[in-house]
Order: sequence, then structure tokens, then C-alpha cells
Amino acid sequence: MDEEQTGGYSDICGQCGEVNWGVSDEGRFYCRSCHNVIERTKEVVDTNTFMVGTSRVSSISKGTRRKKLEQGREWMVCEGFQFILKHQAEALLAMGVCPQFKDDVLCQFWRMYLQKSRQAYTKNPVHDGKFRLRSQGSGESDSAPESSVMSDSMMSASETDGDGDWASGGGSVSGHTSDGASSVCSGSIDAVSYLTPRQRRSQGLMSMPKTLALCHLALLWAREAITLADLLRFVNEGHIPYVNAYEDFPEEMKLYGRDSLIFRVESIPSYSHLHKEAQALAVFLELPLFPPITLDCLLHPSLLTLRYLTEANLPDELHDWVCRIMEKAGMESSVTFEPMRSRSPLPHYDVQAAALIIIAMKLLFKLDDHTEWDLSNDASDKNKENPDGNSFNLRWWYRTMQTALTTAARRQQDNIARKHWKPQKPLYTSKKDKSVVLKRRRIAEQLQLSFQKLSSSPVAPPSTPPSSFCFRWGEEGEEVWDGPSLHHLTLDSSVRQRGASLQPANPEYWHPALRACKPRFCKSHYAEVEVTLPRMYVWLLDLFSFLLGVKPGCVYEEVLKVERRFLGSSKSQPRARATPRKTQPKKLHKRKQTSKTCSR
Amino acid sequence: MFSKGGLQLHINTPRETGFHKTTRNCLQHIREVLLHHRWQDAAEYMASYSQTLEDTTANMPQLYAEIIWRIGTEILHHHPNSTLEDYNSFYERVKHSGVKHYLKVCLEHSFHLLVNGQFEDAKLQLSIAESWRYGKQSAGQSQRIRLIQAYSGFLDYFIWCDKKATASNEYDAAVNQEMHSYFRQSSVNLKEIMKLPGVWDPFVLSYIDMLEFYNDHEGAVKVLNDYAYDDSFPPNPNAHVYLYRYMKKQNHPLKKLLKVLKILHTLVPSHELMPEYCSLLNEGDLQKALGVVLDLLDYSSWRSNLDVWNHLMNIIKRLRMKKQWLKIFAEEMGYRKDWWLAIHFSTFQARKDSAENRELLEVKSFVVGAFCPHCK
Repeated sequence: MDEEQTGGYSDICGQCGEVNWGVSDEGRFYCRSCHNVIERTKEVVDTNTFMVGTSRVSSISKGTRRKKLEQGREWMVCEGFQFILKHQAEALLAMGVCPQFKDDVLCQFWRMYLQKSRQAYTKNPVHDGKFRLRSQGSGESDSAPESSVMSDSMMSASETDGDGDWASGGGSVSGHTSDGASSVCSGSIDAVSYLTPRQRRSQGLMSMPKTLALCHLALLWAREAITLADLLRFVNEGHIPYVNAYEDFPEEMKLYGRDSLIFRVESIPSYSHLHKEAQALAVFLELPLFPPITLDCLLHPSLLTLRYLTEANLPDELHDWVCRIMEKAGMESSVTFEPMRSRSPLPHYDVQAAALIIIAMKLLFKLDDHTEWDLSNDASDKNKENPDGNSFNLRWWYRTMQTALTTAARRQQDNIARKHWKPQKPLYTSKKDKSVVLKRRRIAEQLQLSFQKLSSSPVAPPSTPPSSFCFRWGEEGEEVWDGPSLHHLTLDSSVRQRGASLQPANPEYWHPALRACKPRFCKSHYAEVEVTLPRMYVWLLDLFSFLLGVKPGCVYEEVLKVERRFLGSSKSQPRARATPRKTQPKKLHKRKQTSKTCSR
Repeated sequence: MFSKGGLQLHINTPRETGFHKTTRNCLQHIREVLLHHRWQDAAEYMASYSQTLEDTTANMPQLYAEIIWRIGTEILHHHPNSTLEDYNSFYERVKHSGVKHYLKVCLEHSFHLLVNGQFEDAKLQLSIAESWRYGKQSAGQSQRIRLIQAYSGFLDYFIWCDKKATASNEYDAAVNQEMHSYFRQSSVNLKEIMKLPGVWDPFVLSYIDMLEFYNDHEGAVKVLNDYAYDDSFPPNPNAHVYLYRYMKKQNHPLKKLLKVLKILHTLVPSHELMPEYCSLLNEGDLQKALGVVLDLLDYSSWRSNLDVWNHLMNIIKRLRMKKQWLKIFAEEMGYRKDWWLAIHFSTFQARKDSAENRELLEVKSFVVGAFCPHCK
């Protein structure tokens, strides 16, 4: 295609679908593949270039200047990740995270990471040998070796503050070698060496999931209310750039070839994977004790459970019970993360809060497919006798919750089906793939348009703003609601007054075998155990796993962990405590050896 | 109250990327929506499904392209607002989405235009397809190219018909010229095609029509003869029917007609031309005529046909006057004598006939009387 003549006109030909324009003698545009003449003429093109001042200049001079712009500048992979992290931080700030998060926390973590992985700020960078070879050819060999050039430039960059820091940090690095011998098979300089087996094995290198892990650690350090489950949910909904994040790179950074292996994502990492990455990253960075999570922080179990109780439309009174369980299980000591202590792994704050709520419900309602319905019958009788009464009725709650849940689950499936993964500017792995990839992109776009024309809603529906809550419970008559709010109901039919304190009406508590498996030998046993568990319990696990976006097995394991502390500690306690009487459960012969009795 | 499958939200095929999960879910939704005939929703999901064409897994885009093509045409067929424009643009895009099915899509596109009466456009599509080349020609490709050629000729015929209709009103040299050129184009293609073994009924008819118009009777007969008698072609009774009809129109001698009909009789004894055959034979060979009639009566579609029974009656009347008519009867009835009477002359049948068709009953009773004078 004659770029110069056609001025970069790149619409597709209506007849043959190719982009191969030429200009005839009369100045009309024609398609070189099928000789289809179109309306556009060259005079129009000239006017356009006249109006945009810089491109006119470039069209006169052509040659080297244009070529340079096309090729872009040299850049390194870590610069790319820097840009991505910057955009992610900005997105989080737009959602209400405190401004210090970006500059004081995340930026520092990133620098520490670069230092630890020896990509910058260091005397012996990871890409040492390669650049030395280059400098011999370029004739630019200054007295200082490449390493100190890089580290000096980064140091100087670190002295500047604020925004400029993020952008300029990249520019200074690329200035040192420019003999045009950048690697042919990737836009960035070091993508090839980035992906060598040795580098991979060392596992120090940044990858797309690791950016999210780093964000999570930074959020935790800044004691922000966004949990890991929330972070993943925002990524899924597109509020935080992740899939196709590289599209926001500046123009001069060209991506192709091996870069696609690094920057292209076709999956969003799962909760457990990301958790492991965050843990590993914290150890790699050798972070000290994190700022303590105190009662005023939203990540603390007491406040987090309140949030989930509201989400799950459970009565506020349940919160007292949750707090009592929390106290009993001694959760205070393990709420703050200390990476270097091997016995305190990164806590799953969100799943833990869910586990506490589940245990509270098990305590009050037993959840063995019989007791809870009996208690519900009692509550509804009480409500009938006393019309003003608002006892919490589990059956009613279940029904409300179930309808809302099925609707939300269906909506989520729908969103999964409609999600767009492919970028506007596709990445291609090799030069010969380029034309094929671009053609496919064009055709896919056109097909999308033609189908949208036939569909009932040609315009995509506006995306909902990010929100911490999945369900909305309110009064009847409100426009958008998932069901009536049950937060104000009381638990009086489920509790009894015994002496000074309240006790649950249900006297029994059951649990599966609590002994922990050796961590390396077995993974979760949930799949086998699930068939033996009461259906209501399984439903409750499914509910919270939907709310958090994790597998039910994960919630189940966390419940077991908390139960171990909660029940294990009772052995050392004196008799007169406000705990339920633990008797031999009568109905558990149905389950195969999964229950244990606890003596008081 | 609890459905076990109700909340299974975490079913993931192991090691499936998020992208593949999305496309798999999308296809499931599309399937469900299609089964419920919700065409607009299907179009919406298809808009999201189009991204599968960009999948980087090897060979998958080819499969996806075919899926998109088929489902897309289905939606277009049933959608209340689909226009011909939509069809055209859709086909154009799908053509370029995959190399292996380019020719198939071209054919389908031109069929669609043909069915909607846009002969010129259909012809244009086929000529574009004819000039397309990609890589080595596979066996499937060469077959499709033949098909394209055939339909090209066929479309030329349609256009020729149109021109003929306009030209017959007034004498216009230009239109006539066009008409002749279309005839030439068409005959080139059709002649090529008819050398290949196959069933080319509509093409043959169109070719013959044109030849007849230009009074090339010998040519027409030759074409029909080749079509009917070439051993490499699959046996096709229609070929003989066309040949017979043409010959009859052109008043060919009786012997030739009988020859053709004889072959037709061996191929399809229950053909609708058989009574005609029978009446032609009446002049000559009565035994053969009897054979033909009895063969016809073996088939349930002819069993209550008054004409056929009348023929039988006439034949019997004339045959009885000859000597050795019993021998002839015995020969023809040979293997039928066990069941023939029972089939045609049951009491149920008789009651039905007496209710519906009195004449038939009379004819039949005559025949029975002729065959077995003893049993009434």
C-alpha cells in the first residue's frame, strides 16, 4: 500500500475486504486487490494534512523522521509493568482509596521490587551481560558501565516527586543505547531474556497476576477496605485495568512478538492463585510487620462481618454473636500480617469473616436440615400471635435470599458470556502473523456491528459503577431492590435468656472432623465431604462463595480453621462460660465418621 | 426445596482460560436462545461471540467461522427485520473469515440471491467465485467449482429468459444481441457440466429449452440421448421421461417412443406414463400391454384407478378373441395367481367400491367374471 500517497487511509474495501489502496492518475482512490474505485480523492487527503500541522511537516520530510516514529523508542518490560501499575493505582484512587496509596505505598513497593529482582536501583542488574555487548558496538561507551548509568538514572528519577516520577523513570533508561539493534522479535528490549527458562525458574519476575498481588499487598499496608475478593470483582467488571491493560501504553512503546507472551492475558486469576502470589511476593520483598489492623479499620473482622451481614440480609443482632465467637477464637492475634513469620500466613480476611458468620448461624440454628425449620416454625407462630413482632424467620430469609441469588447468578453467567476479551489493537507474535491477525480483527469487528444492528439493543448497556455490595435490600416500592430488608428483625425466637447472658435456643452444635491435614499432602477434601453435609449448610457455603467469588471448598476450609480455634480453645476454659452445651449429636450416625464429640 | 444443581457456579473445565470459558458459555446461551426462537437475543449474543474469530489457538478460528456462518444465516432467516442488505453484507464478511469455506459461502450467497429473484447479482457473485484461487485445489474444492460453473450456466439461462420476455415485445437489436450472448455463455457452461456423471435435471431442461428456441432439434435429441443412455451416469428415470416428451413433441416415430418407454417401464413400473405406454402398445403387442397393466395394478397407488381397470377390461376383451389366450393369461399371471384375486376382490374392497365408485365395481366384476367364470 502506498502510504505516502494515501496518507495512511486504512478503511476496508467494500468489495474484497482488503486494505490495499492506491491513487490513480486522476487522484481517485482505488483498491489494488479488486480495482474498486471509491469516492475519496487525493485533494481531500491534502486538506487534512494541511489542517493537522505536524503531519504535514512529516509528509514533506518523510524518510527517517517518520520511520523513527513508527519504530518507536526502546523500552524494557519493567517499564511496561510500571505503566500498568500506575493505571491500576489511578483506577483505585478514582474508587476512593486514599491518595497516599499510590505514591507512598505502591510506588515504594514497586521500587523495592525492582531492587530485589535486580532490574534497577542496583549495582549488578539482571541484564548485565547483554548491554555490555551492545555498548561496544555503539561507540557510546562512556566511562561508567551500563549498570551505574542505569542505577544513577533511576536514583535521579527517584528524587523527583509525584507523577513525573512514573513517566520519566522509563525514559531515562532507554536513552543509553540506540544503535538500532533492538531485538527484532519483540517491541521491548528484553522480552526474550525475560522469558528464558532461568529467569522463569527464579520466579522473581513480574507477571500480570503479580501486578494484582502487589496492589493487594499495598492496599493491605494502607489498611484500605478493599479485600482481595473485592479486587478480583472490580477486575472482572472492568473497573481496574487488567485485561488488555497494555492498550494504554503511550504511542512510542510498540508491542509485538514476544511481548505478547508477557502482556496478553486471557484469564483472570482465581482468588487462591492470587493469594499465593501475594504471599510469595511479600516474602520476596522481605516486608516487615504490616501496620496493625485495629478495630477502627474496615478490614478488621468485626467491621468486615458487619458488612457481610448487611450484604446477606441477616439481622444486625447476629453481629453480637459473631463478636463473641471472634473473641472466643482469639482472632485478634492473627489479624495482622507478618510475612517473615512462617507461622502466620497472609490471612484471608474476607473468607474468614464469612466463616465467622457461618459459625454464628450454625450456633443459633444448628443447620442440620431439621432444627432450623423447627425454629422457623416457632418464629412464624410467634409473629402470628403478636402482629407487631418481628422475629427473624429463617425460612422467610431463605426464600428471599434464594430468589435474589438465582437472579444474580443468572446475571453473572450472562456477563461471563458477553465479556469482551479481545483488544482493539491486537498483538501478534511474529511479522507474518500480523496481516492475518489484523484481518481477523477487522472481520470480527464488522460481524459484531452487523449482529448488533439486528439485536434489540444496538448500544451496549451502560456499565454499572463499582460498588461494594452485590445486593440491595430495602423497603418495598424502591426502584432497584433485590428483596425486603431483614436487618431490623430480632432473634428473640432463637435465643433464650439464661442467667446474665443470652444463649442460643438450639442446644447442639455439630462439626466435621477438625484435625488439619498436612499442608503438602492433601488439598481440600470438600468434594468428598460435600455429599454428607446437610443441604442447608451446603447452600450457605454456596451463598458466601458466590458473594466472594471463591470456591465453596475454600469457605469450607476456612470454617474448619476457625472452628479449630473456636472449639479447641474451649477445652482450656472453665465451665461457666456462655457456650452452648455440647452433647453427643443424635442425628450424626448418617454421616460417615465426620463428626466428633467435644466434651465441655 | 433445594436443587443440587441450582448453585453450581464454579464449574470450570480444568485449565480453561477465561476467554474460552466466556466463549463456551456464550455458545450455550446462544443455543438456548435459538431453541426458544428469541432471534434478537441471539443476535446480541452473536455480537459477543464474534471475538472467537481472533482466537490464537491453532485451527480453531476455522471452526468458529463456520459456526458463526451457520448460526448467523439461521438468525437472518427468522429475524423479523432482516433485509437483503443485511444478508449481503453478512455473506461478504463471512466469506473472508475463513479460507476453506469461501466457495461454499459464495454458492450459498448466490442461491439466496437467486431465490429472491436477483439474477444479475447472483451471477456476479458466481463469477467472482470462479476467478478465486487459493493454494492447491483439493478434491472438495474442485467439486464446488464444478457446481459453481453449473449454476453459472443456470443463471445465464434465467437471465436469457428475462431477455427473451422483453425482446418478444419489440424487436430490439441490442437486447437480442445480449440474449444470444447469454445463450452462448450458458451453453458453454452447461455442456461442460453435462459431461460429468450426475443428476442434472433442471440444467438439462433449461438447456433443452434454449436449444428448442433456436430450433436445434438434433442437438437437443443428442443431449437427451446422452443424458439418458450414458452408462456412467446414475440411472435416472427422469432422463427417459424428458426424452420421451421431447420426442413426442417432435413427432418421432412410434417405434422409438416405445423403445424409450420400455426402458422406463423396467426402471419404474408404476410411473404415471405407463397407462400411455399401455395404450400405445394396444395397437401392437397385446401380451406386453397386459404385462404392463398387471404390473401397474400391483402398486397400491393404481389399484383403484378406473382408467387402468378399463385398460385391463379392453385388453381382456380383445385377447379373448384370439386363440391361446389362456396360455397368454397364464404366462402373465404366472407368479401372481396365489394372491392376485384376494388382493383385488376382497369383500371390504367391494363394499368400498360400491359406496364410492360404482363404475369401478362393474369393471372389476367383469374382469373377475372373465378370469374365473366358475366362482362368482
